[in-house]
Amino acid sequence: MKKYHVEVDSVSKVFRVHYGKNQTLKEKILYAGRTKYKEFIALDNVSLKVETGSTVGIIGVNGSGKSTLLKIISKILYPDKGQVKVNGRVASLLELGAGFHPDFTGRENIYLNGSLMGLSKKQIGYKIDEIIEFSELGDFIKEPIRTYSSGMYMRLAFSVATALDPEILLIDEILAVGDAAFQKKCMDRLKQLQKLGKSIIFVSHNSTDIENFCDVAVWLDHSKVREIGDPRRCVGNYLRESMNRANQGNSTLTFDHSIEAESD
Amino acid sequence: MIKIFSEIFQYRFMLWGMISSDLRTRYKGSVFGFLWTFLNPLLMLLVYGMVFKTVMRVSLPHYLLFLFIGLLGWNLFANSIMSSVGVINRQSSIIKKLYFPREILPISIVLASAINYVLSLVILIPFLVISGVYPSWTWVYWPLILIIEVIFTMGLSLFFSAINVFLRDVEHMLSIVLMAWFYLTPVVYTLTMIPNKYVQYFKMNPVAGIIVSYQDILYYHLPPRWKLFTYSIGISLMVLLFGWAVFRKLNRRFAEEV
Repeated sequence: MKKYHVEVDSVSKVFRVHYGKNQTLKEKILYAGRTKYKEFIALDNVSLKVETGSTVGIIGVNGSGKSTLLKIISKILYPDKGQVKVNGRVASLLELGAGFHPDFTGRENIYLNGSLMGLSKKQIGYKIDEIIEFSELGDFIKEPIRTYSSGMYMRLAFSVATALDPEILLIDEILAVGDAAFQKKCMDRLKQLQKLGKSIIFVSHNSTDIENFCDVAVWLDHSKVREIGDPRRCVGNYLRESMNRANQGNSTLTFDHSIEAESD
Repeated sequence: MIKIFSEIFQYRFMLWGMISSDLRTRYKGSVFGFLWTFLNPLLMLLVYGMVFKTVMRVSLPHYLLFLFIGLLGWNLFANSIMSSVGVINRQSSIIKKLYFPREILPISIVLASAINYVLSLVILIPFLVISGVYPSWTWVYWPLILIIEVIFTMGLSLFFSAINVFLRDVEHMLSIVLMAWFYLTPVVYTLTMIPNKYVQYFKMNPVAGIIVSYQDILYYHLPPRWKLFTYSIGISLMVLLFGWAVFRKLNRRFAEEV
C-alpha cells in the first residue's frame, strides 16, 4: 500500500473573473486583446500530504480556498501550477445534489450516482439495500428527488458515497444540513471508515468535529496554508485570529490577493 | 492515450447509462415516442423525394431508395454533430461537481446516433427488398463503413463540443455549415452528375467517400471505391486524433467556463 493517498505538491490555481465576458465571435473580434478580467488566486503554492488511513480537516474563512482544494483533489479542476497525485478511488461529497437527476426517484439516483463513480449496476445492486436503510428515507426512496428537502438530499448522497467503498472520501461541509441524529450517525459511519483504513479529507466549520475527529488540521488563510498540524492548536489559533479580525471590523472578504490583468 | 481509454473503459457503465438515457429520452413526451426514430427519416425522404423526383425529375431508377441510403448516412453524421456541439454547456451541472472523463458526453451522443442508425435499418432493409434490390455479398462492407463514419463523426463532435465552451457561436454557425455540407455531399445526386472539372473537389470531402460507399455497396452492389474510401479512412483517423487532442487540452478549463 502506498504511504500517501493524496499528495498535493505546491499547487496554485488562478481563476479569471471576467467583467462582462466576450463570448461571441463578434465581441471577441471587436474587443480582441482588450478583455478585462481580474485574476483571483484561489490557491497559492499549497502543499499537503494525506497519509493513508488518516483524516485531515480543512478550516478557514469563506473564500480561503477550501472548496477549490477539494475540487482539485477530485480532478474537477486542474491546477495551474504544481501537481496532485491521488492513489486510490475517490468519492466526493462536494455539493448537494451533484450527480443526481431531479426527475429520477431516489432509488434510480443511487444507480445513476454509482455509475458516475464508475460502478456497474451489479456492484451497486449488492449495496442498494444497505444504502437505502442507512439513509432512512423510507417511502421517499420511490419519489422523484425534486420533492426532497436539502437534508434528505444529503442523506442520500452521504449514504451512497460512503457505501460504495471508496478509498478516499472528500466531504465539503454538507453534513451541516442534516438533523442532529443523522449527523451523529454520519460521524459514526466516518469513524467506522477511519478504522477500515480509509482516508478522509473533510471541510467543516464545526470546530468540535475537527478537534475530535481529525488527525491533522490544515488552516487555509488567503489561499495559502497558514498552519498544518495538531487539530486543537490549529483550530485554536484560527478561531482566535478570526475573532480578532471580526472585533477590529476587518473581516470583510477582500479581493486583495488578485491581479488586474488586461488581454485575453 | 492508453490511460484515457482505460479510464473510459472504467466508466463504461456511465457511458452506457448516458447512451440509453439519450435513446429513451430523445422523444420523451411526444405522442409517437420511439416511432419517431423511423418516422423522422421517412418524412425527410418524403420531402426530398417530392422535390427531387417529382419536381426536379431526377431520372435515376429507384431514386427514392438511393436517396434513403444517403439520407440515413447523412443524418447519423449531422444529428450527432448538432446535438453534441452544446453538450458540455448543457451538462454544466455535473461537470462542475463531479469528476468523470468528459469525453463520455460527446461520445455517448455519437454512439446513441449510431444505434439509432442501426435501428432504422429495420425499415431500410424491407424497403430495399420491396423495391427489388436484394441483399448482395457487398453488404458485408456495411459495418466497416459505419465504423469509419462513427470515427469521423466522433472526432468532429469532440472538437466542436470543446471549442463551443469558449466560443458559443460555433453552435449557431454549424447549422449553416452543415446545410452547405449536405448539398456538397452526393446524397441527393450521384457522383456522376457532378460536372467533370469539379468532381475532384467534391471528392476531397471525406463524408462524400463515406456516403458514396454506402450507395455503392447497398444500391449498386459494388465494393467500395477503394481510393475514395481509403482517403476517408485516413482523414477520419486524423480528425479523431486531432479532435481528441483539442478536447484534452481544453477540457482542463471546462469546469470554470461552463
